[in-house]
Amino acid sequence: MSELLVKNARVIDPLRGINAEVMDIAIRDGKIVEEVSGAAEVIDARGMLTMPGGVDSHTHICGTKVNFGRYMSPEDMRAGRTPRRGPMHATSGYSVPTTYANSYRYSVMGYTTLLEGAMAPLEARHTHEEFTYTPLQDTMANTLFDGNWGIMEAIRDGDTKRVAAIIGWTLRAVKGFGVKLTNPGGTEAWQWGQNVSCIRDPVPYFEVTPAEIIRSVVEANELLGLPHSVHLHCNNLGTPGNYTCTLGSFGLIPDLNKKRQTLYATHVQFHAYGGSGWKDFCSKSEPIANFVNMRPQIVMDMGQVMFGRTTTMTADGPMEFNLYRLHHDKWSNHDVELETGSGIIPVVYRRKNLVNSIMWAIGLELALLTKSPWQCLLTTDNPNGAPFVKYPEIAALLMSKRYRDAEFATVHPDTESRVPLPAIDRELDWYEIAVMTRAGAAKALGIQDLGKGHLAPGADADVAIYPILIDEVDPSVDYRKVIEALSQTEYTIKRGRVVARRGECVVDGSNATFWVKPKISDAYDMGKDPDFIEKFDRYYTVRMRNYPVQEEYLNRNRCIETEAGI
Amino acid sequence: MKVTLAMKPAAKSFVPIEAESIVPKSFLAGTEYSVWRGNRELRLDEIFTITVEGHAERAEEVEVVLSGDETSRLKRVGEYMDAGKITVLGGIGMHCGNFMSGGTIEIHGNADGWLGREMTGGTIICRGDAADYCASGYRGGRKGMKGGSVEVFGNAGDFLAEHIAGGTVVVHGSAGDMAGVEMHGGTLVVHGDCSRPAANMKEGSCYVYGTAHGMLPTFRKVGTVQHEGRTLTHFTGDLANRGKGNLFVKDYEYLD
Repeated sequence: MSELLVKNARVIDPLRGINAEVMDIAIRDGKIVEEVSGAAEVIDARGMLTMPGGVDSHTHICGTKVNFGRYMSPEDMRAGRTPRRGPMHATSGYSVPTTYANSYRYSVMGYTTLLEGAMAPLEARHTHEEFTYTPLQDTMANTLFDGNWGIMEAIRDGDTKRVAAIIGWTLRAVKGFGVKLTNPGGTEAWQWGQNVSCIRDPVPYFEVTPAEIIRSVVEANELLGLPHSVHLHCNNLGTPGNYTCTLGSFGLIPDLNKKRQTLYATHVQFHAYGGSGWKDFCSKSEPIANFVNMRPQIVMDMGQVMFGRTTTMTADGPMEFNLYRLHHDKWSNHDVELETGSGIIPVVYRRKNLVNSIMWAIGLELALLTKSPWQCLLTTDNPNGAPFVKYPEIAALLMSKRYRDAEFATVHPDTESRVPLPAIDRELDWYEIAVMTRAGAAKALGIQDLGKGHLAPGADADVAIYPILIDEVDPSVDYRKVIEALSQTEYTIKRGRVVARRGECVVDGSNATFWVKPKISDAYDMGKDPDFIEKFDRYYTVRMRNYPVQEEYLNRNRCIETEAGI
Repeated sequence: MKVTLAMKPAAKSFVPIEAESIVPKSFLAGTEYSVWRGNRELRLDEIFTITVEGHAERAEEVEVVLSGDETSRLKRVGEYMDAGKITVLGGIGMHCGNFMSGGTIEIHGNADGWLGREMTGGTIICRGDAADYCASGYRGGRKGMKGGSVEVFGNAGDFLAEHIAGGTVVVHGSAGDMAGVEMHGGTLVVHGDCSRPAANMKEGSCYVYGTAHGMLPTFRKVGTVQHEGRTLTHFTGDLANRGKGNLFVKDYEYLD
């Protein structure tokens, strides 16, 4: 039995409505408890900001495309090198660091739970292998279904139950957590050299539209009773004028779940563009945020862009090809048979570039214009908008108008006429930042009942203690102190153990992976469905029995069983 | 100051020695350095007999002389070198002069792969042959050599001056396949033959005084020019990537 007592902490725990109360947090055997014995180890967190461990609801840290980003950019691997130190392995990389580097840097920032945003089912093993070497965070993987042949055929036949059955079988096979749609239909069209421009274009050879895919998968997701909603990367990413397409996609979403949203729209910054081309490119964050304000069934994340170099990687292959044609730098492209695809290119976002400056502003606007912080979460879609190490700066930008103005003075001068940002006075408070970085993310992912994102008795003892006295520091003025504090915790506690202390990771750790296993009736068991088996034998390069990821691939495994309505 | 590092005869070993500490400026503060052989860290004097003559205040005044039969096992000699001189009385291993920005390296034997990779300044003279990726970039990198000069008196291997963005590379013998591939700038001169020169070049100049085998069809012929007493055919390209480089060849033959 191990016991730990965090005393005199200044706690913000939004899922319990606790806002800056001084409290003690008692921990026994990795869980939060009511009280501990006098023999417990004590950490004095006098006055320090203490929150549940951070939850990143959308990041790219593990899997084949992340790894490809590593090996196509040796210059990136030269940055951020640290030697082996204590229990810490040697690390390298900046925008696509090694798995250990990701894990350590997140841990030092107080993050304890990460969702890998896109896992191609066929390549799931690699993702799980890399999860094993991301030791200080619990992990889960959204699984890509955007160009799945079986699903598109079931949608064409109008059979939503079959869609659910295929999703359920696949998630169970690949140990996935949620459903990800990336440019639904478009990535499949790209395998034929085409794309879809918005939700009403038919996908070549499949006679379905993205709108049908989105609607049907959203329904299937609820039929399966999955903890997380559908995680959607809308069509037409990064194109001027695409906000209409985004609004159209949002308009398709019914309100189907009382506990959480029905749609999680990811990196919406990249989908809130106005104008008819790059010349009259402008921000359309207002209509997007207004729409989300009226739709409790939608939660989005910012996809904030920060200046500097990074690597973009997405299953949206055609979009990456278009970006490649703009930049003419390196490009990689990948087709995952019958399922999805991907593209990767390195980019540099520059202050002197008007388009980049507008993109930077849009992410902030979305967060500031969305009334409820529960509906707009703080992410960069790491590393697409920026590496996650920029999160503290983003939080500071949201908390300080003065900081925003100072930064705004350094961007392209024409930005002012294209974005509403300078007119927005809102400054978020610590509570709202806590929602956007942990409580809201845990709720949106549907993992609060599994003990994530809060500090109620019974929850996992994942705690982040930041060296900042929030009564004394005014974030709107002392934004530098905010950045400093959020960049490096005094203590990061994971499953009841101190894992990081003032920038150093102090233990080896071992993570847990969350995955879902929907209970599906025999009639809908795809493993016994002759058509599905035949399709598998005919088109996949692997045998059906070799396809599922064995449970040995999961380090510590937290299986979520759900009751499916089929 | 002259530092002579004479390699001690060792039991036959094929394990290379990582010797990035051998750069002139290191020796201003003595010879207490280590190198790695496999996973073993060894003091410099376990590998070499060290002789120091004279005294130096600045790295410019330091000359390092490497001798012995197995100098070609030494890797990364002169990495990040910025001044002074290294003379190798024999061959040298891979990655000699990586990221070099100043000074001179003279090699009296052959150099292994990646000689002068991503160098930005200084001079490398190789009296023998240079293996693949001489004066090139690295795996997946954007830019190879950006400045300085490399002169090879023997032949060079494949991917000579890959991704070169500045500086001068001269090979007196022949080069292998893909010489000057992805060129962004700088000058490459091959006195002998090579194949598929300057593929996908954007800018810069590539001269082939011998025959360009497997000449790429994506270069546009402009005419002939006189260059140092030779009549060369002038091409621009690579048109496949909107390139505006110049390729000058004495003779060329397309693939059948």
